[in-house]
Amino acid sequence: MLLPVFTLKLRHKISPRMVAIGRYDGIHPCLAAATQAGKVFIHNPHTRSQHVSASRVFQSPLESDVSLLNINQAVSCLTAGVLNPELGYDALLVGTQTNLLAYDVYNNSDLFYREVADGANAIVLGTLGDISSPLAIIGGNCALQGFDHEGNDLFWTVTGDNVHSLALCDFDGDGKKELLVGSEDFDIRVFKEDEIIAEMTETEIITSLCSMYGSRFGYALSNGTVGVYDKTARYWRIKSKNHAMSIHAFDLNSDGVCELITGWSNGKVDARSDRTGEVIFKDNFSSAVAGVLEGDYRMDGHTQLICCSVDGEIRGYLPGTAEMRGNLMDTSIEQDLVRELSQKKQNLLLELRNYEENAKAELSPLNEADGPRGVIPANTKLHTALSVSLGHETQPAHVELCISTSNDTIIRAVLIFAEGIFLGESHVVHPSIHSLSSSIRIPVTPPKDVPVDLHLKTFVGYRSSTQFHVFELTRQLPRFSMYALTAPHAATEPLSYVNFILAERAQRVVIWLNQNFLLPEDTNIQNAPFQVCFTSLRNGGQLYIKIKLSGEITVNTDDIDLAGDIIQSMASFFAIEDLQVEADFPVYFEELRKVLIKVDEYHSVHQKLSAEMADNSNLIRSLLVRAEDARLMRDMKTMKNRYMELYDLNKDLLNGYKIRCNNHTELLGNLKAVNQAIQRAGRLRGGKPKGAEA
Amino acid sequence: MDLNLNRADYLQVGVTSQKTMKLLPASRHRATQKVVIGDHDGVVMCFGMKKGEAVAVFKTLPGQKIARLELGGVLNTPQEKIFVAAGSEIRGFTKRGKQFLSFETNLTESIKAMHISGSDLFLSASYIYNHYCDCKDQHYYLSGDKINDVICLPVERLPSITPVLACQDRVLRVLQGSDVMYETEVPGPPTVLALHNGNGGNSGEDLLFGTSDGKLGLIQITTSKPIHKWEIRNEKKLGGILCVDSFDIVGDGVKDLLVGRDDGVVQVYSFDNTNEPVLRFDQMLSESVTSIQGGCVGKEGYDEIVVSTYSGWVTGLTTEPMHKESGPGEEVKINQEMQNKISNLRSELEHLQYKVLQEREKYQQSSQSSKAKSAVPSFSVNDKFTLNKDDASYSLILEVQTAIDNVLIQSDVPIDLLDVDKNSAVVSFSSCDSESNDNFLLATYRCQANTTRLELKLDAMIDARKLLKKKKKIRSIEGQYGTLQAYVTPRIQPKTCQVRQYLIKPLSLHQRTHFIDHDRPMNTLTLTGQFSFAEVHSWVVFCLPEVPEKPPAGECVTFYFQNTFLDTQLESTYRKGEGVFKSDNISTISILKDVLSKEATKRKINLNISYEINEVSVKHTLKLIHPKLEYQLLLAKKVQLIDALKELQVHEGNTNFLIPEYRCILEEADHLQEEYKKQPAHLERLYGMITDLFIDKFKFKGTNVKTKVPLLLEILDSYDQNTLIAFFEAA
Repeated sequence: MLLPVFTLKLRHKISPRMVAIGRYDGIHPCLAAATQAGKVFIHNPHTRSQHVSASRVFQSPLESDVSLLNINQAVSCLTAGVLNPELGYDALLVGTQTNLLAYDVYNNSDLFYREVADGANAIVLGTLGDISSPLAIIGGNCALQGFDHEGNDLFWTVTGDNVHSLALCDFDGDGKKELLVGSEDFDIRVFKEDEIIAEMTETEIITSLCSMYGSRFGYALSNGTVGVYDKTARYWRIKSKNHAMSIHAFDLNSDGVCELITGWSNGKVDARSDRTGEVIFKDNFSSAVAGVLEGDYRMDGHTQLICCSVDGEIRGYLPGTAEMRGNLMDTSIEQDLVRELSQKKQNLLLELRNYEENAKAELSPLNEADGPRGVIPANTKLHTALSVSLGHETQPAHVELCISTSNDTIIRAVLIFAEGIFLGESHVVHPSIHSLSSSIRIPVTPPKDVPVDLHLKTFVGYRSSTQFHVFELTRQLPRFSMYALTAPHAATEPLSYVNFILAERAQRVVIWLNQNFLLPEDTNIQNAPFQVCFTSLRNGGQLYIKIKLSGEITVNTDDIDLAGDIIQSMASFFAIEDLQVEADFPVYFEELRKVLIKVDEYHSVHQKLSAEMADNSNLIRSLLVRAEDARLMRDMKTMKNRYMELYDLNKDLLNGYKIRCNNHTELLGNLKAVNQAIQRAGRLRGGKPKGAEA
Repeated sequence: MDLNLNRADYLQVGVTSQKTMKLLPASRHRATQKVVIGDHDGVVMCFGMKKGEAVAVFKTLPGQKIARLELGGVLNTPQEKIFVAAGSEIRGFTKRGKQFLSFETNLTESIKAMHISGSDLFLSASYIYNHYCDCKDQHYYLSGDKINDVICLPVERLPSITPVLACQDRVLRVLQGSDVMYETEVPGPPTVLALHNGNGGNSGEDLLFGTSDGKLGLIQITTSKPIHKWEIRNEKKLGGILCVDSFDIVGDGVKDLLVGRDDGVVQVYSFDNTNEPVLRFDQMLSESVTSIQGGCVGKEGYDEIVVSTYSGWVTGLTTEPMHKESGPGEEVKINQEMQNKISNLRSELEHLQYKVLQEREKYQQSSQSSKAKSAVPSFSVNDKFTLNKDDASYSLILEVQTAIDNVLIQSDVPIDLLDVDKNSAVVSFSSCDSESNDNFLLATYRCQANTTRLELKLDAMIDARKLLKKKKKIRSIEGQYGTLQAYVTPRIQPKTCQVRQYLIKPLSLHQRTHFIDHDRPMNTLTLTGQFSFAEVHSWVVFCLPEVPEKPPAGECVTFYFQNTFLDTQLESTYRKGEGVFKSDNISTISILKDVLSKEATKRKINLNISYEINEVSVKHTLKLIHPKLEYQLLLAKKVQLIDALKELQVHEGNTNFLIPEYRCILEEADHLQEEYKKQPAHLERLYGMITDLFIDKFKFKGTNVKTKVPLLLEILDSYDQNTLIAFFEAA
C-alpha cells in the first residue's frame, strides 16, 4: 500500500486546475495556486520568508509560510516554469479573462503584463516547434497566442471554438513539440506551429490534456470521461459519473512508463495504466481534487506526485519501490484474481443452466403461462431500418429509426446508447402499456454532422411479461444523415460553391455518397456526369453535388461548415494528401463583413466608455475631497449633498459598467465569429494546406 | 479499534437467503469447524478448509429454494444436526449428510423463518406461526402483519416456552401457547432476532433485535413486561440488519456482537463495563451479508468471522495475519497454495468455456427452427424500496447475483433521481417525449464492471415554484401516486432483463404508530356506501404504507399513522360500509378525499363522502411546522454567509472585528455545511407543505386560491409566523 510521504493542510482554498509548482528562486520548489477573491497564494515551506510588503505580494495573515499575490481579477489559468532560460529560475504566469501576467516572484516584479482580448482559459509553457525561445501559450476565445519572456507575441492562430485545455506533446515523433488544443466544440486539434496536422472529435468539451510520453497523451472530458490517445488512435477510455478535475502523467509504480493520474471531483485520485486503463492505485480526499502535479517538494532528490484538494489539503506520494512489484493497493492481487475467476465460473455456470432450462422449455409447446416468463419463439428476429423523414406539422424533419420484430412479440422498450446526439449518453423509448406493438419508430436528430454508432438494446417479450429478451445490436448513423435527397430545382440552387478536381472514378464517388448519406433504397445513380440535390433537415438549406466528366466536382451550399465537412470527409475517404479548391461564399462573406464592421463599432464604443469612466473617476476624487473638506468644516449639509452626489455617480458608474460588460460580451461574440470564419475557410481545403492560410 | 481482520474468500455457492449458513460445532477448542450452507437452488453443502482449499463433506441434490438453515440436537449436547426449511418442508441432515428427517408441514404458505430447540420446532410463514413438538402440531397463531423472524427464549433456562415473533408492523409479539402474552413496539420493522450472548444473557430473557432500517437493540422479555436495555440508532444511514451473532472475536473473555447488514457492512460491537455496546470494527463487503457467525474455519487456532453474502460467497474475516512474520519460505508456501487454486480455477474455466460455446451454438441453431421457443433465463433480483424518513426521499436498492450491465428506471409519477455517493454507475437522463406515454422519468444507469449492487435515491417532491408552471394539478409532497419500474439487465448470456415495479403511495410520508395524541384539533372525512370490508381495506392499503395486505380479522379495524415529516397524525377506522379518517392536517384529508373518490369511481362504487373541517387545525399545523422552518431558514442563512466570512478572514487575518454571531458561524462552518448538505431540499419541502395546506384549506371552502400562491411564496421568503397565520386567515 502506497502511503503519502507528506500531508499538508493549508488554510487557503485552491481553485480547480489553477495550481503549479515552480522554483521561483531557482532552488526551492514552491506551490502557487489561485485562491478566492482574485488572489494567488505561494506556499514556500523552505525559507522563512523575509517580510516583503510590496504592492502585489503580502504575507498571508493565516499562515507564516504562505504569501499572497493580489491579481484583483478572477484568475482563469495559472502555470509556472522557465520562460527566460537566461534567468535561471521559474516565472509564474497568471491569466485572467482580459490579461496575462508573467511574474518574477523572486524579485517581486512583473516580467510583462499584456492585455489579451480573447481571454486566457488555458495556459501551457514550453517550446513549440521550431520557435527557439520558450513560449507561454494561452488559449482563449477561439484564439491561441504565444508570448516569449519579453511579452512579444511570437505565435498566433485560431481554432474552432473556445479553448478549454492545452498541452505540448511530440505528436508526430519529430523531436519537436506540437500543441494539442481541446476546445468547446468537442475537438482535439494538433497544431504544428500554426498548421493543423490532426483533428480528433470527442463527445464532450475537452477539459484537460496532458502529454504522457512520445506521441501518447491523456485527455479528460466534462462528462467524466478520461482516456489515452496514441496519435489519432484512442487506446482506452473510461467514464465515471464524477468529473475529472485534473490529469497528470507520472510513473508511480517505477516501471519506467508514466501512468495517467486523475484527480476527481469527488476527491478520488487514481492512477491508471497507460496501456489498459486498469487502476493500479487510488486514494481519497475529503473534498474535490484541485490539481495533480509533480515536484521535489521535500528537496531530497526524489520527485513526488503531489495532489491538492480544493480545501487546501496537499499530499505527496513517492513512487513505489521495486520491492512492491507494482502492487500499490492493499488488497492482494491473488485474492482479487481468485474472486474474478470464481465470478467468471459462476457466470458460465449460470449461462449453462440457462441453456439447459431453455432446452427443457423448448420441448413444451408455447402456451399462455409463458407470457409473463418472457418465453418467445426462438426464431424471433429484430429488423432495424434507418430512413429520412421529412416530418409534418407536429414533428420537425428527422432521421427515423424503425425497429420491428418478425412476429407477434412486442417491444417493451428501446435503449439507445450513442455519444453526442442525445442529452445524456442514452435515449429511452418506453411506450405506455396501452400502445405496445411489435414495431417502434424513433426520431433521431443528430445535432452535428458526425458519424455515430447507435448501440441498441431492445426489450422484446409479450404484453404481460415481467422478463424480456434483450436484443443488442449496433447501427451506424452516416455522417450526413440529416440531408434528404430531393429533386433538384435550378431556382433554389445556392450561389455559394466549392470547386475542385478529383482524380477518381464516378463510381467511387457514388460509394462515398452511399456511405455518408441516407439514400432511399431505389436510388440509382448513373455514371458521370450527374448531380444530386439534398435538403437539410435542420434548416431546409440546399446542397448540390455535381460531377462533370472531367472529374470536376462542384459542391453548392450556403453553409460553409457543411462544405468544409464534405471536403474533409471526401479527402479522408479518397485519402487525398493535397486538395486545391476554389470557393466562393458571397452570402457568408457579406455576413462576415457586417461582423467586422460591428467589431469596429464595439471597439469605438469600448474606447468611449473607457474615457467616460476615466472622467468619472476624476470627478469622484474631487467630490470625495470636497465632501471631506465639508466634514472638516463641520458643514454637514454640504457634506451630505456631496455624498449624495457621490452615491449617484456611483450608481452611474455601475450602470456604465453593465453597459461595458454587455458591450464586451457582444464584442467577444463577434470576435469569435471572425476567428471561426478563418478556421472554416481553412477547412475548405483538403490535406496538408489545411489551416496554412490562417 | 485495534481489531485487525483480514479477508479470505472460501467458496461461492448459489444465491442465499437470510440466516442460511452455520458453522458446525468444533470437536475441540479452536479446532477448525465445518461450514454448512443452503442456497436458492436447494443445495445444502457442508465443507471444510484444507490448505486453503474448500473440501466438500457432502452436497445434496438441488431442490426447492432454502429459506432458513438451523442447527439442532438433543438439549445440552452439541447442536450438530442440520435442519433446513424449503417450501413447506423441513428436512434434517446429520453432519455427515445423511437425511434423517423429512417433515411436510402442509402449511399453505412457504416457510419464512424457523427456530429449533431440542424437539421443539417453531415455524413461521408470511402470517402464520406454528409450533411443533416432535413433529406434532402444538400451537398456532395468525399474525396481523408479516412475520419476519421467530425465536424462542431458551427452554432449558426458563420455566415456560416463550416464543417471540418479529412482525413487520414494528412490533415484537411475545406468545404463550397460541395467544399473545404482550406486544412491544420497536423503533423499526424488526428483521432478525437472536438470543443475547447466544443463550439469552444472564437472565436467559435477553433478546437482540435488528431492524430493516438499520437499528439494533436489546430487550429483556420478562414474563410480565418488556424492559428495553439499549438501542443503537443508525446515525450513519447504514443498511438494514440481516443477521447477528455473539462471539468473542476481540479475545477479552466477553462475547462481542457481530452484525451483518444488507449494504455489505460487517460490524463488531464489544461491551464496556456498563454493558453498553461500543463499535470496534467495521468492514464493507460489496453485497448483502445474509448470515454471520464467529468461529474458526480457515486455520486452526485463529478465530474469525464467517459471513455468507447474497450471491453465495462464503468469506472469512480472520485474525490470522496476512503476511507471516516467520521466514521467507513460509510465504512462498502460501503463494504456492494460492497459485494452485488459481491454476485449478483456470483449467475449470477453460473446460466450462468449451462447454458453454457448444451450448451457445446449439442455442443459435435452435433459433432457426420455427417451432422452437426461447425461454428467458431467470435470475434473482434482491430489491428493497424504502422511504427515507429524514429527507422524505425513496431509496431503491437492487442486487443481482451477477454483475449488472444496465438498469432502466421509468416512472409515471414526476420524480427526481438524486446522486448517491456509493453508486458509481453512469446515469443518463432521457427526454420524456410526451406525457401521453405516461413517462415522467426515463433514466439509464450504465454500471461499471463488477457492480452487483446498485443503490438509487429518488425524490418524489416537486418544488412548489415549479408546481405553478404546470397546468396539471400536481401536489408537491404527498398525494402523487403511481408506479416506478426498474428494468434490470445483468451481464449474462443470453441477455435478458427483468422488470420490477414499486408503488409510490399517495400518503407515502406516513408510518404506522401505535399511539396518537387525541387532544389535537382534528378534521374528519367520513365515507359511507355499499362497499365491503375487504374493499375499504384495499383502499387503505393503496393509500398508506405499512398496512398488511390481508384484511385483518374482525369487523372493524383502527390504524394510527404519523406523518414522519411534520408529525401530524392520521386515525383511520373502518368497517363494512363505513370509513372514518381523522387527521389534524387538512392536506392529508384532502389527499384521501381525492384518491378515494377516484378509486371508488374506477370500481363504480357509489360513495358518500362527507367531511368536517376544523379551522383551528390549520393554525395548529402551521405551529407544528414553525420550529422546523425557523431552524432551516437560520441554517440556510448561516451557510450562505460562510464563504463571504471566510474571504474576509483571509483578507484581514483575524476575526476579532466580527460580531460574535459571525465568529460563531466561522467556528461552526464545517458542521453547518455538513448539516446543510444532509438535507438540501428541506426548506423547499416545508414550503411545499405550506402551499399544499393553503390550497387545501380553501379547496374545502370551494374557492380556488391558486392565483394567491405567488403572494404566499413571497411571504415565505421573508418568513414570520404571525404574518403567515394572518395571511392564511385573511385570504
